[in-house]
Amino acid sequence: MDTTAALAVADSFRSSTAPLTWHDFLERMRQPSAAPFVKDIKSFIVSFMNNAREAERDSAAVQEFLGNMEMAFRAHTLWAGCSEEELESAGEGLEKYVMTKLFSCVFASLPEDVRVDDQLHEKIALIQQFIQPENLDIKPTFQNETSWLLAQKELQKINMYKAPRDKLVCILNCCKVINNLLLNASIAANENLPGADEFLPVVIYVTIKANPPQLHSNLLYIQRYRRQSRLVSEAAYFFTNMLSAETFIMNIDAKALSMDETEFERNMEYAQTLVSGFSGGSDNRPGQSDENVGPLNPKHSWYPNKNQVPKMPNQSSLESSETKLTNEEPYPKDQLSKIPSISDIENKGASVLLKEEKVNQAFQDFPYLYSQVGDLTVEDVEILLNNYKQLVFKYVSLSKGLGLETPLDPSSTEQGQRQHESVLVEGHEGRKEEKSTDEMQIDFSQSADNSSSPFSEIENTESKLSEDKSVSTETDTSDEISQR
Amino acid sequence: MGCSSSLPDRNSGRLGGLNPENGGTNDAKNLRVKLVLLGDSGVGKSCIVLRFVRGQFDPTSKVTIGASFLSQTIALQDSTTVKFEIWDTAGQERYAALAPLYYRGAAVAVIVYDITSPESFAKAQYWVKELQKHGSPGIVMALVGNKADLQEKREVSAQDGMEYAEKNGMFFIETSAKTADNINQLFEEIAKRLPRPSPS
Repeated sequence: MDTTAALAVADSFRSSTAPLTWHDFLERMRQPSAAPFVKDIKSFIVSFMNNAREAERDSAAVQEFLGNMEMAFRAHTLWAGCSEEELESAGEGLEKYVMTKLFSCVFASLPEDVRVDDQLHEKIALIQQFIQPENLDIKPTFQNETSWLLAQKELQKINMYKAPRDKLVCILNCCKVINNLLLNASIAANENLPGADEFLPVVIYVTIKANPPQLHSNLLYIQRYRRQSRLVSEAAYFFTNMLSAETFIMNIDAKALSMDETEFERNMEYAQTLVSGFSGGSDNRPGQSDENVGPLNPKHSWYPNKNQVPKMPNQSSLESSETKLTNEEPYPKDQLSKIPSISDIENKGASVLLKEEKVNQAFQDFPYLYSQVGDLTVEDVEILLNNYKQLVFKYVSLSKGLGLETPLDPSSTEQGQRQHESVLVEGHEGRKEEKSTDEMQIDFSQSADNSSSPFSEIENTESKLSEDKSVSTETDTSDEISQR
Repeated sequence: MGCSSSLPDRNSGRLGGLNPENGGTNDAKNLRVKLVLLGDSGVGKSCIVLRFVRGQFDPTSKVTIGASFLSQTIALQDSTTVKFEIWDTAGQERYAALAPLYYRGAAVAVIVYDITSPESFAKAQYWVKELQKHGSPGIVMALVGNKADLQEKREVSAQDGMEYAEKNGMFFIETSAKTADNINQLFEEIAKRLPRPSPS
């Protein structure tokens, strides 16, 4: 129920905030009387690109240019008799056009920013392994990890766009989803309406779980190149919350999470083994063009580029058994064509594992794998449940990313359970196959963490969420202002 | 405690960034003011705001869901209007270091404590000092003792609050978000104290 409510809000929010008439802007710029504007815009872009990069000066130059142009629009006959809204959307169009052109030379262009991006991403990758809502003062009433996934997805879309406004909208949508979930929870629990005491902790938690790509650079970029007169009021407030989240995360230490030093250190080390033990996963993400890859070509659907594989510790054995696998065809043909390629990948992994000498080593980082029910404490159950939820979501994302229909509803644990079980059973029977599935899942989780593409795919298929009026960046670049 | 849960209008939410009037400057008649709320968690910061916004509900105001950001316009007797954009901050100790991100550029800071909690009063004094050091120059500060309806549990006297406020050149008021006592007065007093741009 929460899920649908959140979706509905994201939808209505989107439609109420995006009367962005991008094509109107382009059309107007094609009018003969706009020729001087076009000349100004193009010459600004050219001269900007020729300058050496200096963040503060670049930002000031763009802000000034946008401001001046907006004033010129206001005075020009092209916009005579136009409403404030129309002028505003002309300004939006200009900002989007200019920044789409300048994107590649100003986004994450300074080594310092890239370094912070990497540090932040690595730190989050560790912290997300063990952080609990309680560590951030999120009251049980307001905890809803499954639905927070929706907010995470909004945030993970941030690199799908080049225009500052579009990136900002990802943040605002994320905040809207959170706000709405909190609101629902407060009503259900008959509690006070959620204020910042409730809101900020969830924003931080969601940001950690989402680990959005290049967060630092994205925030700087919005701050520098979103027209200042439009980064005010509510948008400024939510943006500030995201800045806060970033600052908080960068400074996270034991005290910030109410842990004692040794517990924090232990958690970080444990997370380190989890993350580095399977670092190969981070590179094994489906490439941009993975939709072209047929389900019968698991090799290519898994590795977009052979050169990206070598981080995998047992690469050579993997490669060789891969070849064997295709020759041997251990699965009946008809099954192969039916089975989605995600199972192909999984089965391939299973047979690789079977041929490995140190099978056990691959699993030593998963402490629960060999646990018996009696071994588990209540605390373990909580951790396991969280892990399970993440796995389900990532599995579904990957399935969608590979263009497969997944009947799985991430909000329904029961269905998720069934699906998960069927995945376990699908390959062969026996213990080793189960393990292999587990390993695959972990790999998935890492590839999903580092890549927005599975999520962008999920968005494309669940198109309702992504019906953003803002044109996606791919099309942006093809929209040239050309005088005819 | 303190706020009942009637809802702000869901549908009037709108992205501020697309709002043309936000680009506009304040004129002498219509002020737009950033107000930041500071205070320990649980003192009722957001309840005060909700009470204020609900109390004089303006269907044209861009009230969004949730209470972390709200805006409300009030009309003064001299026929000027003041639009408050109210930024709530997380009051938990672990988030204290983030406050500068929120009060940067604020024209008003409302520092709230709970009259039943001396700790929250101490925290309020911490915020006053911090704002004196790092807040915008000329920031209007108000000290608010909330939960004034809980007289029998009072642990911070009105006298203490008033004296501290006077010493620091602040406006002081005790409120009850629960009964709505003094809520409107709080914002009206703030509005009166705002520096006005000289009419051109």
